[in-house]
Amino acid sequence: MSSTPLTADATQPTAYPESGPTPAPARRSTAELLICLPALAPDALPHALQAIATAFPTESVLVACAHAPESPTDFPSLDLIPYSSARSDVGWILAAGDYAAAAQLALEHNARAIILLGGDTAALSAPNALDPTLLRSLIDCLRSKNIDLVLPRFAVGPNDALVNSALLYPLSRALFGADIRFPLPIDAALSARLAQRLGTSTQRLMALNQGSTLLWPVAESAAAGFSVREVSAGDAVPPTPPPPQTQADFNALFTSVAGSLFNDIETKSSFWQRARGMYAPSVQPSSPPPIAELAASPEIHSMIETFRLAQDNLQEIWSLVLPPQSRLALKKLSVLSPDAFTMEPDLWARVVYDFALAYHLRTLNRSHLLGAMTPLYFAWVASYLRFVADDASRAAHAIELTAAAFENEKSYIVSRWRWPDRFNP
Amino acid sequence: MGHQMAQQISAALRQSIHRIVLVLASFLPGILAFLLAVIVFALIGWGLSALIRRLLIAVRFDERLASREAPGSTGIITEWSPSNSPTVLAQRTTFWLLVLAGIAVGISAFDASYAEDSRYSIFLLPYVAHVAGAILILLIGTLVARFLARSVLIGAVNAQLQYARFLSLGIKWLVLVLTAAMVLDHLNIGSGVVELAFGILFGGIVLTLSLAIGLGSRDLVSRSIEKTMEKPAAPRPTEIPTRTDTDTPPRLRHF
Repeated sequence: MSSTPLTADATQPTAYPESGPTPAPARRSTAELLICLPALAPDALPHALQAIATAFPTESVLVACAHAPESPTDFPSLDLIPYSSARSDVGWILAAGDYAAAAQLALEHNARAIILLGGDTAALSAPNALDPTLLRSLIDCLRSKNIDLVLPRFAVGPNDALVNSALLYPLSRALFGADIRFPLPIDAALSARLAQRLGTSTQRLMALNQGSTLLWPVAESAAAGFSVREVSAGDAVPPTPPPPQTQADFNALFTSVAGSLFNDIETKSSFWQRARGMYAPSVQPSSPPPIAELAASPEIHSMIETFRLAQDNLQEIWSLVLPPQSRLALKKLSVLSPDAFTMEPDLWARVVYDFALAYHLRTLNRSHLLGAMTPLYFAWVASYLRFVADDASRAAHAIELTAAAFENEKSYIVSRWRWPDRFNP
Repeated sequence: MGHQMAQQISAALRQSIHRIVLVLASFLPGILAFLLAVIVFALIGWGLSALIRRLLIAVRFDERLASREAPGSTGIITEWSPSNSPTVLAQRTTFWLLVLAGIAVGISAFDASYAEDSRYSIFLLPYVAHVAGAILILLIGTLVARFLARSVLIGAVNAQLQYARFLSLGIKWLVLVLTAAMVLDHLNIGSGVVELAFGILFGGIVLTLSLAIGLGSRDLVSRSIEKTMEKPAAPRPTEIPTRTDTDTPPRLRHF
């Protein structure tokens, strides 16, 4: 494994640490566009290549994939090179190893634009799974507007991507000024300079053999002053991990994602504390269409029950993290009936910020901290589901309210981050 | 007769006071030597630990150690260090090691200044080592008990177990009882009685927990067994469902 230091000079080819098998040096070729595929079944590769050839009929494209066949393919414009994708800790999204390998390949082959397709191997194995229109629009946006990072915006239902709506999107928008609906990308298009920057930031991870760690390219781009956009993925739904079989599976997944995000927030604290006016002032969203709020379903009941149980048992831990006013608000919330259960967005925002701060201060063991946050997340989900009532427009409104609350409470996290003892009881 | 008796009592008292004064006179230098050794070593320890602290801060020891950990991971040394600073851990370890060395030297000095034979140091030095070991066991046991109790409490709450606190307390006391038994055994205090009491208490706690969990989860267990009897266990899916999966999606998707 190489540990050659990196330089910021894009003209000098630099060796990145490798995440897997070394690409064969004998097959060096150059192309403007590099597309990195995840590991696919041999019979699925032609489908993917067909989609790429359809998307870029007049362009020479380098396609990096695991087990690239030695014989030429049926697509003369495509040049296959070997590549090893890394499966992230949470399975289906891009990991640090993916970015490191892509950056390495981009440097070796002088690619100016890179498309990284995520670890949703099974999904890509199906015929017509790879949408040529989406591939084309990713690259068009990257090139025509001189953007550094383009992400697809998937269509999700009102009850989907809840962690994203509760945590990832609002935090990303409030702290990094990036209005990107899915900041933890599954697929992404990168400019060469962003790929190089991500390659540099993953160097230490690769040296520690931590290629499966999550990376937050949106925050990285924001910190570097790079531009980020998203393009509509049409009706395509985002790939998702298998539904957790047990509560423990969900807890592990939640802890992994939230921990990684808090860690990234900690790393970039000097950036987001001084970043001001990056986003337009949040406009209070208009009222949602009137609709009867959903009667508490068994799922909502179950989540409220978890929250109440935590309210009874986790006070000792919460008191180390949350200030008294938040605990009082949570206590009031816990006595509400399921049909009136509403967690205000500003309370949720402050709770999340308090946990991010406690993660930074190591107030208690980090796995304990994130475990103690899970019931609060369930409280938010229960409140959200009641409000949304299976209606897409109300879901959009609720997500906007949550994100606006995170923006409005940003001064709270900045103050607490700078003077954590001031708020402590 | 009475006068003679008073003289004898007075003589006996004078002799005993004389003996006590002699003992004190020979004992005090030893005590002073002991205190002096402890104080001197504590001062050396204080100076050395301050020096180490400055040195480690100068070389950014904490940052270097943190940079070797993967982002998001919980570094073991950092996690268990006071104030989460390995520098502070190194500083305090140095100080207390020198204090312990001072105690050992003090006992030896006490022994040398007090009596001709060395029976005190032969008895005291190993016992001080035992006491230090016992304190260490107590400290580690308490930390482990607190860590496990919190882990169990959070895990049980997230698993919606109503008896989460009870379970957590049970685990905590199991570890604490085990620690106490180990400490007493290490100090050679009532070893036979402690072993017996520990066995009874530990067994009692385990039995109580087993009964509580068994009775509390009776319905859960019977439902689980019924499900297993009704249909063969399906293999857990290892592949991610495809985008064209026609199965009914779950109502909620957290990710």
